[in-house]
Amino acid sequence: MGMKNLIFAIVLGSALASGIFVAVKANKPVELQTAFVIPQPSALPDFSLVDQFGAAVNANTFRGQWDLVFFGFTHCPDICPMTLQTLAGVKRELIDTGALTLPRIVLVSVDPERDTPDLLGDYVDYFGDGNLGVTGDLEDVKSLTSALGIYFEKAPTDNGNYGVDHSAAVLLINPDGEFSALFSAPHTAANYLHDLPIIMRGN
Amino acid sequence: MTSIQSSTLLALLACIFLCACSDDVKAPLVATNIEIMEAMPGQKMSAAYLTLSNNTNDAITISAVVSPQFELIEMHESLLEDGVAKMRRITQLLIPANSSLNLERGGKHLMLMRPTGSADQVALNFYSGDTFLLGVSSPLSSRNN
Repeated sequence: MGMKNLIFAIVLGSALASGIFVAVKANKPVELQTAFVIPQPSALPDFSLVDQFGAAVNANTFRGQWDLVFFGFTHCPDICPMTLQTLAGVKRELIDTGALTLPRIVLVSVDPERDTPDLLGDYVDYFGDGNLGVTGDLEDVKSLTSALGIYFEKAPTDNGNYGVDHSAAVLLINPDGEFSALFSAPHTAANYLHDLPIIMRGN
Repeated sequence: MTSIQSSTLLALLACIFLCACSDDVKAPLVATNIEIMEAMPGQKMSAAYLTLSNNTNDAITISAVVSPQFELIEMHESLLEDGVAKMRRITQLLIPANSSLNLERGGKHLMLMRPTGSADQVALNFYSGDTFLLGVSSPLSSRNN
């Protein structure tokens, strides 16, 4: 093969390769960045808790809208407000961009001894309207968290107080009241803004 | 001397002058990106985040942070272990020579406890043992914007 033919072959090969690449890329399904979609969404278990107004919260409360559910506590100075601030920012951005479907933000307390409905109400309201705070008896909280694979445990501090170690994931509950996707920490708004509309459109 | 040579010389002199000036004003320990968060509703504690830059050739250890606006300030570290968020108290902050340490969300941070009043501005004073290292002051930042 002469030099001209060799160059022609290289150029042709590169063009074909890039053409194939573009074609493959164009046909590739849209990928999620961080969300893990549960292949077969699971119904929430039976549980009985209360919201910030003292109204009953059970599995039916999670039907009819998309819910982003975080498990945290109001005495948490870093991770919990950081996560809720991220979720609130995501919701604001979805509103600003004209999204038709908006998720509700839900905080389920993993410190129900200190998180009264009133306290939880002030806390979730800080991050915007329409947020739901959920608390109740410790055993009732556990009946929900254990079914969803959410861990939490008191962590005593050396000043006689305590914090709570807890799963940092955010669960997405679909309008049928089913656990349908999971966002693992660390949480970034960009990941939610990419993944959430894709998942919510697909339902 | 050609005009190119003279402009190069001027630029060099300006650079030397500026470098000398910036060396003169460089403090041993500098705080930037200061964010002191307002307490969440119903809470008597909050968090503070900032970057501490050590401009010396020796490591700096911060062993205490105090504020007139809070009875107690602890140094904490948030950890994410196997998907579980934890927060643990740490006893000191080490800033290596000529390096910076970020106190940031989800990492090392200051936990401000039991406010003495309802101040809009918070002062933080950093100590190594009994030695005062640095004082900063900043207005409170919110988390709902």
